Amino acid sequence: MKTLRRYGAGALLAAATLLTTACGGLGSTTAESASSGPVPELEPGQQVEITFESYNLANATWTKTINGLLERFEELHPNITVHGQPPQGGGTAGSNTAASVQSQLMVGKAPDVAQLTFGELDYAVHKLKPKAVEDVAGKEEVQAAFGGEHPIAERARDLAAMDGKVYGMPYVFSTPVLFYNADLFRKAGLDPERPPTTWAQVEEYAHAITKATGADGAYADCLTKVAVDWCMQALVRSNGGTVISGDRKTLTFAEPPAVDAIATFQRMVSSGAMPDLAQSQAMDAMGRGQLGMFLETSALQGTLQAQAEGNWDLRAAPMPSFGEREPVPTNSGSALFIFSEDKAKQRAAWELIKFMTSSEAYTAISSEIGYLPLRTGLVDDPDGLKAWAEQNPLIRPNLEQLERLEPWVSFPGDNYVQIRDLMMQAVENVVFQGKDATSTLTEARNRASELMPAS
Amino acid sequence: MPLAVLAAPEPVADEPTQGPPPAEPGQKPVGENTRRRSVAGHVVLAVLALFAIFPIYWMYATSVRAPEDVLDTSPLPWPLSFASYEYVWQVLPIGKLLVNTFVVAVCTSIAQLLVALLAAYAFAAWQFRGRGLLYLAVVGAWLVPFQVTMIPNYAFLNELGLLNALAGVVVPTVCSTMAVMLLRQHIQAFPRELLDAARMDGRTSWGTLWTVLVPNLRPALASLSILLFISAWNDYFWPALVLQRTDSVLQIGIRGFLSAEGDNWGAVMAASGIACLPIFVLYLVLQRQVMDAFVRSGLR
Repeated sequence: MKTLRRYGAGALLAAATLLTTACGGLGSTTAESASSGPVPELEPGQQVEITFESYNLANATWTKTINGLLERFEELHPNITVHGQPPQGGGTAGSNTAASVQSQLMVGKAPDVAQLTFGELDYAVHKLKPKAVEDVAGKEEVQAAFGGEHPIAERARDLAAMDGKVYGMPYVFSTPVLFYNADLFRKAGLDPERPPTTWAQVEEYAHAITKATGADGAYADCLTKVAVDWCMQALVRSNGGTVISGDRKTLTFAEPPAVDAIATFQRMVSSGAMPDLAQSQAMDAMGRGQLGMFLETSALQGTLQAQAEGNWDLRAAPMPSFGEREPVPTNSGSALFIFSEDKAKQRAAWELIKFMTSSEAYTAISSEIGYLPLRTGLVDDPDGLKAWAEQNPLIRPNLEQLERLEPWVSFPGDNYVQIRDLMMQAVENVVFQGKDATSTLTEARNRASELMPAS
Repeated sequence: MPLAVLAAPEPVADEPTQGPPPAEPGQKPVGENTRRRSVAGHVVLAVLALFAIFPIYWMYATSVRAPEDVLDTSPLPWPLSFASYEYVWQVLPIGKLLVNTFVVAVCTSIAQLLVALLAAYAFAAWQFRGRGLLYLAVVGAWLVPFQVTMIPNYAFLNELGLLNALAGVVVPTVCSTMAVMLLRQHIQAFPRELLDAARMDGRTSWGTLWTVLVPNLRPALASLSILLFISAWNDYFWPALVLQRTDSVLQIGIRGFLSAEGDNWGAVMAASGIACLPIFVLYLVLQRQVMDAFVRSGLR
């Protein structure tokens, strides 16, 4: 199903790219926006209608929360009407959000506010050309929006910035967390209060669990094409590597630190510490209580809690490190961008973005959906998420990792999806099919380099 | 069972019924090989039927497991729970989704059937210049991947103002090449003499179509209509492109329970179980015609 989802999204993106290329691009409006200065506030009584495209609205369970927030926004801003819509293709993972906006841009009906994933940031900024929130609202107002009683986590603020400019507001995201089954730990004679902190320990614990219980040991959901690359980037960076150079011109995922990181997991598969499972199989194995440890997005917490309830003891720990190196978590998730051409709609869009990233919105989003509250102070606020955080201690590792967060880096150019796919297919071939790490990643790097934009 | 009947020796008239002669020692009784083949054939068919039915059984079995047991692999769901159905009913506007899906599927299949009938009648029963070329163009259109046409179709719908409307799902799909090809085959097999006789009786082409051809094509039209209905009912990608709203069609609603943040299998199976019911009912109603059409097609 996930593969089909990706093919569908890929097809949509490819077709949309083809058409925009044939039509000579989508046109530039950024310069105009930049030169015109911040958009003034709406006049009292000035009626504006805007559309809000969110992949959270494609998730049946979350629709109620998001629609509830939109209704609340309309109460606070009676002159602004918001029409919420899911992206085309029905994707809930955010894999086709750029393609959806792109096809709507082509027919002149771009959503006024769109939720786009960070993995599409480069393409979104350079091809879809959103109106930078800095240009719409002004730098001071954007910085003020980052602040407030419970400021947005420092490391999260620039996730949607490019070339020194803040294009979007970080909205919802998560980090890789090591979920583990405390019951299996106990059966294997391991202390569930002391989860593994390094990958070497994970391997050791995994063998102990498999030997004592017959269950699978550990699985990192970061190493297949389906998993995309946000979590794989965390593993590579935790070992001192990168996937692309700082100037964004050279692919570096075949350099020794990256190769070593990937080879570590190949060894875990060959030694039996990590089962040779597809992503969905691993998720189900964890849900059934037949997997000891699972490195996975913290956004899966709610689902795992529901599956574990009454069956097994779910715990969470920060992502493990490679030896003495400090682990470097990256973020999944998305930011909110403005695509309106009309000034009044731009202002209304900014008001909506401010509300959707406010303390009130994060209180609802975190408690009802389970996303990380980017306004971290809310978890200590009795009027915010304090009670919820106490009932959900699993969120703590996720919050702690925010202090060490590094951004999920997007690839540049029109071929960013193909570059990512080549890289992740090579990683999958190395880890699960036993291909030689250096030569496989080097070959993928060479092929992907040909797809990089000419500098 | 039909294999055994077809292979049975025909009784000879006026011959005293004595039964088969006693078999010599070491000689197999008459018909034993046939019976064995029949049993083997039925065993193979039963296994294939189980393969076909098992996923449907598993879907309903999973849908009635308690939410905490939804990943359980025991073949019998116990204790039974309808919590997934309740959840689906609460979370999805299931009534609206069912109505929308039904409207889209009925309109699409009727439009496709009508267009296919007229086109196939023209291709099979009429002689006109460029007929072969035109038919080739229709068949050729079938070979163009959906991914090539979806964006132009999307832009065209925008011009028509049909984005986000059920009509927008139906309009670009009113011509089904597969339906044209299948009906053309059936009409070509229809006795030409009957069409000529109708013309000699003074019937117009339109009258011949509806009073001579269509009544005789009922089984084919029934089987084709069920295929077209199922195809339209199950369509996911095109509605997902056109309908950007939370109350679109059932297949998109089901998809809403699958996400990067975890798949709610109980809800997926319950919603899928609901989505399958109208198809089962339709098949039960039209079962006779569908079987007739398939058997005739197979024998021809």
